[in-house]
Amino acid sequence: VTTEQRTTFISTMAFLWSKISATLPPNEEQFPLQFSEKVALSVVEMLKGARLQLYGETTRASRILNAQIILDYSWERLNTGTWRHVDKEWRRVYSYGCLFKAAALCRENPSEEEIRQAIRTCDMGLLMGAAIMGNILQVIVCILQSEIRKLAEEEDNHENNEAKKRKIASPHVGLIKEELAVPRIKCPSLEGFNANHLLPLKPVILEGIIDHWPALNKHPWSVEYLRSVAGCRTVPVEVGSRYTDEDWSQTLLTVNEFIDKYILNKVQVCENGYKAVGYLAQHQLFDQIPELKEDIRIPDYCCLGEGDDDDITVNAWFGPKGTVSPLHQDPQQNFLAQVVGSKYIRLYSPEDTEKLYPHESQLLHNTSQVEVENPDAERFPEFVKAPYLECVLQPGDVLFIPVKHWHYVRSLEVSFSVSFWWS
Amino acid sequence: MRWFGFGFNAFAQICVQEKSDKEDSSSAAGEVKVNVPIELKNHVGISKIRASWSRRASLFLDEEKSVRLAGFCAFISNESFSPVMVDTRGCRDAIISETHLTLAFPDRIECWDLQSKKKVPSWSMEILTQSQNSDVNLPLVPGGYISSKTPIFHSLSSHLQAKSLALGGEHAILLTAAGAVYTWGQGSHGELGHGGLIPEEEPRTVEALWGMSMRSVAAGGWHSVCVGDGGDLYVWGWNGSGQLGLPSRGLRKASQQKSDPQSGELCSSVSACLGEERHEEVYISIQAFPALVDVSPSCEIRTVSCGSRHTAAVTTTGCLYTWGWGEYGQLGHQTTTSLDEPKCVEFFRNECLHVVDVVCGPWNTFTAAVKKEVLAT
Repeated sequence: VTTEQRTTFISTMAFLWSKISATLPPNEEQFPLQFSEKVALSVVEMLKGARLQLYGETTRASRILNAQIILDYSWERLNTGTWRHVDKEWRRVYSYGCLFKAAALCRENPSEEEIRQAIRTCDMGLLMGAAIMGNILQVIVCILQSEIRKLAEEEDNHENNEAKKRKIASPHVGLIKEELAVPRIKCPSLEGFNANHLLPLKPVILEGIIDHWPALNKHPWSVEYLRSVAGCRTVPVEVGSRYTDEDWSQTLLTVNEFIDKYILNKVQVCENGYKAVGYLAQHQLFDQIPELKEDIRIPDYCCLGEGDDDDITVNAWFGPKGTVSPLHQDPQQNFLAQVVGSKYIRLYSPEDTEKLYPHESQLLHNTSQVEVENPDAERFPEFVKAPYLECVLQPGDVLFIPVKHWHYVRSLEVSFSVSFWWS
Repeated sequence: MRWFGFGFNAFAQICVQEKSDKEDSSSAAGEVKVNVPIELKNHVGISKIRASWSRRASLFLDEEKSVRLAGFCAFISNESFSPVMVDTRGCRDAIISETHLTLAFPDRIECWDLQSKKKVPSWSMEILTQSQNSDVNLPLVPGGYISSKTPIFHSLSSHLQAKSLALGGEHAILLTAAGAVYTWGQGSHGELGHGGLIPEEEPRTVEALWGMSMRSVAAGGWHSVCVGDGGDLYVWGWNGSGQLGLPSRGLRKASQQKSDPQSGELCSSVSACLGEERHEEVYISIQAFPALVDVSPSCEIRTVSCGSRHTAAVTTTGCLYTWGWGEYGQLGHQTTTSLDEPKCVEFFRNECLHVVDVVCGPWNTFTAAVKKEVLAT
């Protein structure tokens, strides 16, 4: 790094703080700290102290310490009881903690590593907290992300060029039986789709309906594109072959770490001799990273449902070859759009539920006990008698999975899908 | 008896910040994180200590029985809150939560809301004359127990013959007169010890301990501990911060990556998670059945206490061992490192102090000790 680069860097960092300051209220009096009585007064006192430090003079260490106290205490409340019942107030407190910590990290000439830490902190707030002050963490993380992107532009990524060359082969010939294939239809009319597939709840693959997505033409999604847009962002990753396994777990990684470890296999991941599979699954990535949201569109056919666009849950599914979602059913209609790579999918009708041996526990009641591609005929004798449809979903395809239809998914190569849950 | 405290001190609940010490970073006194034991001022006559996150309650059980609070007191326009206004004289026992102070008097129990300016307790109950002379052992009260969230009073079946009760983050662990252990509440981190993660609404016996007589129980945020009659220590529940004294993957990862421990592994596995390093070590993030922990070679445990994510045990030979989350100095080893193995707090040995009792607040630890000469056999 030359002296000139370093000087530019430092003045950029001072400029960075002024950009962040601009997102905050101008003074302490206008900084809101309102909480219900669920939040103990001692905690409110800590929050007020952190606010005082935000607008006043003190040491960086002290700011970070106070932010950390707020984070540690609210994190404990978030881990108490079931997630569904965690009081929203504690999630807000957690977000305030993230705000104070990120601000403290970025205040005085932060290094690139400190900016990344601040991004991670904001992401923790977005993942575990609740929106505060007009979703200020989202605003700040975007500012920080563009700083990192500016710094990354100067770097030369030889390695990444090599990864680009890694093209997807595989024609998947002979993988599915024609007589069991999910029917395909190109750009059906709304009425046609409604009459022939939605009302009768019949699965179908819609072709040509997402060709206009920037993700498939203007900004074609690739592993490298995702790195550049979201590399420093923290996301939840599922580790283990399938969520019904005993050694399945969840962890938090940056997109860069996830790609290096589980997509490009740069790091050896060995569990008991088997290579562990990591899956960025069922995550509302598009709320977290607005740039990616702009690359996709909500399928028009969702308007045939009863809810608003706001009621539609959009999830990202990004993983290497071999990720498996065990046979399960969901309580809403689903459009599964394939963007990168391909997936083998099998569908069973809810009429045949008895032959699919769902788990008895409350937690896994929507999941079958059977390993679809290796069924235990002794424990589950009826399974082979259950009729099914199958397909290989390719980039550009959208699979309509009717509500409560059982589905099993296995990725055949590095894959990125987007699902839309609607009613 | 001398009392010491270490760990979280942001509300001056251990010691007050000396203005002159502000520049002196080596001094432990007055800092937010006190990582080595500090003697409590005005400790003469303190019989018991109870601690919440932001406060410490000292029970003076000499002639003038009373309770004094240290730590967070919200003052509004120079008027102090009810803690100062509460008449605690004659009190036999007390427990404190973040929001309530519960006092046990010979003839009544009172529960005071520490956030309200009211001059009356928010809840109270009379103790019938026949129970007045029996030992009081909060949170147990005649007929049941007290919690700090509504409903305040919970009844307990008399056939359980409750002897002592420890309330954890969202679970409870009960010791009966016969030495049996019952648990109930949330179980998502294995803290009930029945082998699963499901909650229990009613007290359920910990079958794995059947046939072994226990003499004390303790509960942390998400873990449970009990001591057998022979001085053995049993632990179960969450080990994400090493609080069980079993190998914790979360700790190893945090020390390797120096990353934010909160964003580490959120493991939902019931049994051991296999380690991914060359060591082939077995890590445990949730222990759903009681496990025996060897605290120290051939030492009996006298008493144990749990904080939110740490554990402290006193041996019959007067040593204090701590392990678990250490971020605020609550382990007392002069660091803020978390440990997944019991470690002796050298301070007491160095000062020739024989530890006799330990009480943990969520993020700190208080110990009672006497000079070794005093014990002269």
